[in-house]
Amino acid sequence: MKNKLTNSNQQGTVPAIIAFVGVVLVIFIIALMNAPTMGGARVMSSAQTYFSEVRATAVPFMIFAVLAAMIAGFFIAREVKKVWPNVRRRKEFLTGYAFLAPYLIVTLTFTVGVILFALYISFTNYDIFTRPEWIGLANYKEAFAGFTDATKRDFLQALYNVLWYAAIVVPVQTILALRMAMLLNTPVKFKQFFRTIFYAPSVTSSVVITLIFMWLYMKNGYLNFFLQTVLGWIGINFEPVAWLADPRGLIQLIVEAFGGTIPSTQWYFRGPSIAWMAIMFQNIFTTVPTFMIMYLAALQDINPALYEAASIEGANKRQVFTQITRPLLRPITMMIVVLGTIGTLQVFDQVYLATSGGPLKTTLTPVFLIFTEALGVTGPITMGFASALAFILAVIIFALTFVQRRILTQGTEMY
Amino acid sequence: MTVTTRGKIKSTQYKSHRQAVTENVIRTFFRYLLLLVIGVIMLLPFIMAFLGTVKTDQEIMAYPPKFLPEIWHWENWARVWNTDLGAGGTFPRWLFNTAFLSVVVAVSQAAFGSMAAYAFSRLKFAGRDIVFNFMLATMMIPGAVTLIPAYVLMTKLQLINTFWSLILPGLVSAGSIFTLTSFFRSIPADLEEAAFIDGATHMQIFRTVILPLARPAILTVLILQFQSMWNSFLQPLLYLNSPDKYVLNVALSIFQQQYKSQWNLTLVGAMFNAIPILILFFIFSRYYIEGVTYAGIKG
Repeated sequence: MKNKLTNSNQQGTVPAIIAFVGVVLVIFIIALMNAPTMGGARVMSSAQTYFSEVRATAVPFMIFAVLAAMIAGFFIAREVKKVWPNVRRRKEFLTGYAFLAPYLIVTLTFTVGVILFALYISFTNYDIFTRPEWIGLANYKEAFAGFTDATKRDFLQALYNVLWYAAIVVPVQTILALRMAMLLNTPVKFKQFFRTIFYAPSVTSSVVITLIFMWLYMKNGYLNFFLQTVLGWIGINFEPVAWLADPRGLIQLIVEAFGGTIPSTQWYFRGPSIAWMAIMFQNIFTTVPTFMIMYLAALQDINPALYEAASIEGANKRQVFTQITRPLLRPITMMIVVLGTIGTLQVFDQVYLATSGGPLKTTLTPVFLIFTEALGVTGPITMGFASALAFILAVIIFALTFVQRRILTQGTEMY
Repeated sequence: MTVTTRGKIKSTQYKSHRQAVTENVIRTFFRYLLLLVIGVIMLLPFIMAFLGTVKTDQEIMAYPPKFLPEIWHWENWARVWNTDLGAGGTFPRWLFNTAFLSVVVAVSQAAFGSMAAYAFSRLKFAGRDIVFNFMLATMMIPGAVTLIPAYVLMTKLQLINTFWSLILPGLVSAGSIFTLTSFFRSIPADLEEAAFIDGATHMQIFRTVILPLARPAILTVLILQFQSMWNSFLQPLLYLNSPDKYVLNVALSIFQQQYKSQWNLTLVGAMFNAIPILILFFIFSRYYIEGVTYAGIKG
């Protein structure tokens, strides 16, 4: 095996060329799979028909991909040439990329590739079965058309709904999770037992939990029965509510209690509907335990000497919490708030199963809208438009989590 | 503190001590009460649903609802187990599909994930940190963005309505690699250095030194990935569209639409989904909790 070449400069040239060709080839194939062309059985029936489609619509995309591949290939080839003469470094380099290969291929295909594809088709009117046609920013304009045309307000209303959702669910679940973790962090017996019980709702699938809650929320279900009984004891007559079918908004209810009304044209003043709040409650029920576990682990990591010092200094419980516990938990709080925001802004399962976006679109969410638009559930298939919605949602998520990070990391420098 | 006031201080201290004891007892009592109440709230939906599965069609829709059924109709469970939605759509089939997919994805996540984690934590090569940071960045991408294009890709590859559409993107994920990398980094390097001097290759060190030591982390990834595949809904809903290919979650949503008012039957189906994962959780709860902790703290 050891054909020692006399010139060490030449030694790595052949492997470097092989690496370059290999990288370009792999990325080329991945790009070919993700090329923005129409799909369908006829196009995909043979390589020929697919290639002719790629030639017709995806040449710029492929050129971009090949250029990127060549740049990546160049750097990798250069490294290969550099490490080749040294046996140990060569081994680590080759083993490293061999071990990373499955991850790199999967992520380049199913994350990077598909995102580039989605970015491209978000500027086209694409529906799988026809060639994507460039229409510029029209999809993005269409998404916000609701500002001027009330019949096209679906996306705006979906955003409005999830912003309420995040604004209520994230703080409530964070506070509850912290409270429960602190309760479990006190010296109690059967801690393991309680922790396991508390965590059970987070283990089960959201479909199961949603079905159970749909049943509990029925007009002749347990929740109405419970409220009627309990409120009956203190003499309040409670009318059963169809929890998942009631479009009345929170602010609307408050205003109506004072005799006012909010017309349906001003839906954006109505606040989250009863149906939406019912889903919020159920969501909190399933996510609190996960975050509780994270908080619990963070609480157990806090050095007990700090608490001892505080008690010697005569600090009361409140001071201990605000001066020690809260600041030390700040990184994990940030994590939980950010994860919670990302999760709540993308709520789908509960909506799909329980309400399908109704009543009066008060539980419509962006991801549900993306799903229905992309599959053409309510009209024609509009994958380009759906992709545009997805990117707008992603930008909003990035922006919100960025702001949260900025706010929550303020003042942590001293710890 | 002077000597003259000592007696006074002692008596107040004594008093406050007694107060503190009673206060402590009350506090402990309320603490356990609160724990019990929260425990009941967390389990109540499951208990109610379980009791609902053995009620008759009339009992389940009756108002006011009763807590316990008159007679425990276990035949509901058999009824659902034997339900055939046509085209091979039965609960045993769906249960098998779900378990099969979850096992395949979990094993491949653990295998490929630990390989990548070994590379990130033990090897030094150009571009390692770039790839690692790139991986962290991809973890921030919301799933909604890849949803449609991944669906288009699957239709192009003609993998719609096959299990490949769920297995291929799930072969390995940034989350598993990240969890395993942070665990691998906590394993001291002395052991493998000895092996390395003895002339072992990286593959040998990976298999004989690192993998046995990382067993808890690998078990954690196995369980968490099993659970996340078992509980996934949106992707299977998009990709699988014939009854013999459904996973439990998708089948349940179809089942509920067909048996709208027969909640007792839908709840049995929900139990088929919930019970296996709950049993798994109660057996491996330690690893579950460690996994969540790892993903959280070290992230």
